[in-house]
Amino acid sequence: MAVASISSNRPFDHRIFAVEHQRRRARWRSAAIAGTVTLLAAICLYNILVIDTDWERMGSLGEVLTSIGRFLAVDFELIPHLVEPIIETLMMSALGTALGAILCIPVIWLGALNITPSRWIGYPIGRMMMTLSRSIHEIVWALVFVSAVGLGSLAGILALAMRSIGFIAKIIAEAIENVDPKPIEAIRAVGGNRLQVLRYGIVPQVLPVAIGVIIFEWDINIRRSAVMGLVGAGGLGLTFHRQMVMFNYPGVTTVILAILLLIILGEALSYYARKAVI
Amino acid sequence: MQYMATHRPGGGQPVERRKWSRFRYPDTLISFGVQLGVLVFLGVSLVYMDVRLERLLEFGQRFVALIADRYYPPELSLLSEARYLQAILDTMQMAYLGTLFGLLLAAPLAWFASFNMTPNRRFLYPFGRLAIMGCRAVHEMIWTILLVSILGFGMLAGALALTLFCIGFAGKLMSEEIEAIDKGQVEAIRATGANELQVFAYAVLPQVRVAWTGIAIYTWDVAFRAATVVGFFGAGGMGWYLQRYVQQLESQRVAAVLISIVLLVTVSEVVSAWARARVAQAK
Repeated sequence: MAVASISSNRPFDHRIFAVEHQRRRARWRSAAIAGTVTLLAAICLYNILVIDTDWERMGSLGEVLTSIGRFLAVDFELIPHLVEPIIETLMMSALGTALGAILCIPVIWLGALNITPSRWIGYPIGRMMMTLSRSIHEIVWALVFVSAVGLGSLAGILALAMRSIGFIAKIIAEAIENVDPKPIEAIRAVGGNRLQVLRYGIVPQVLPVAIGVIIFEWDINIRRSAVMGLVGAGGLGLTFHRQMVMFNYPGVTTVILAILLLIILGEALSYYARKAVI
Repeated sequence: MQYMATHRPGGGQPVERRKWSRFRYPDTLISFGVQLGVLVFLGVSLVYMDVRLERLLEFGQRFVALIADRYYPPELSLLSEARYLQAILDTMQMAYLGTLFGLLLAAPLAWFASFNMTPNRRFLYPFGRLAIMGCRAVHEMIWTILLVSILGFGMLAGALALTLFCIGFAGKLMSEEIEAIDKGQVEAIRATGANELQVFAYAVLPQVRVAWTGIAIYTWDVAFRAATVVGFFGAGGMGWYLQRYVQQLESQRVAAVLISIVLLVTVSEVVSAWARARVAQAK
């Protein structure tokens, strides 16, 4: 060890010692973290690969490759039947996003700290609604709504709306909490009431953020609306499900390609739209 | 400042004031046209999809009635059954492994897919971009269905689907993080004659380490959320019970499963928020 002891008279010794000590501790800590991660991974791997997986049923590597190979074709006859589901998916995502954007207004009102009607009751409720909406997977929302309003795209629209509320509301509420207070003060100074402060002081400031986040959410919702059909809520997911249960593997690939196309289209559109707004 | 310049007495040329505008197309037909177009599209969609808005109005009542009728009271005893607890454990394991391997694969892919630091702009950059985009574009449930049909039912398919999902999710965020780094350190390391891998290890990684840790924790959180549902399509875990009870129309058990999912996801979200805050502090 180059550093003998703290008692030696050389200057900086104690600082070198402190740095070395800290480094050693950091090294120990990262080694402990890496060890824990590896150990946990080993346990999970054992449980998944050895206990849970039925290797005999899966068959040899060749058989797995054969079953992958079944997907490597495109069913061209399906393409004309895809137009309607594609339109439906697109419309479902748009309507879901729009409904979510409308429904999130009261949530934002409750959950933004500087405009909330009550800090102790309204604010936690608003925040909780945002977390709840985001934390439940869209498939679960879709299941709930399919059982509530029946099969069809209305369930999908509602599910998308519920899932979108959280993200849109969170971003906009944060934007509202960070607004410039001067315009608000100015409007208050000329005698504006609470509603007028909201309308003329806050809304113009957060509008670009709001439009941007809604477009972004719409982009994500296209991806989500493509799976709504798996639980009975219409769109491309339903076509996917049908092809799957008919064991028409080239058709499955075709549907996936259609979804990819739709998503790329949506991403490009949302990119340029957001660029134009912000 | 320019405003002052125009009024300076006797001062040289008055500067022309720039016309300031927030939007690129202010007050033009274009912006109104777009708004109108969006509204028309939404209206057409409503008609085309045959969505009856009046159903939405009575929906609130129906929803409450439905929950009171069928889903209440949730059969909470299910949550203490050993097999269900095992399913929760399975879900956690799938999420953990999926996230771990997803992150391990996403790190090099993110490096390839970052435009400023990619080792090879002609081949590896498009490859990385395409891999991340492909994983991201396909929904994790579709991955699950495909993998279940290839590998059979069970946790392996779920873990692999989550791995693919994590590659897409984390890869994009990670590569964006690399694209925002400071080039000075990169040049310094490169000046010592380091190769691309060494530049990545000594100039890029130290800069993105903290952000990547945050992304990793967030990815785990999101993957866990997805892991609760992948079982619905045949991969293991809690989702499998969800699917079973939905199909058997045992709504009170479905309610119990949903409650457990919400609880677990909320806990994971709190844990992840706490861990991310700690990581940001340690910066």
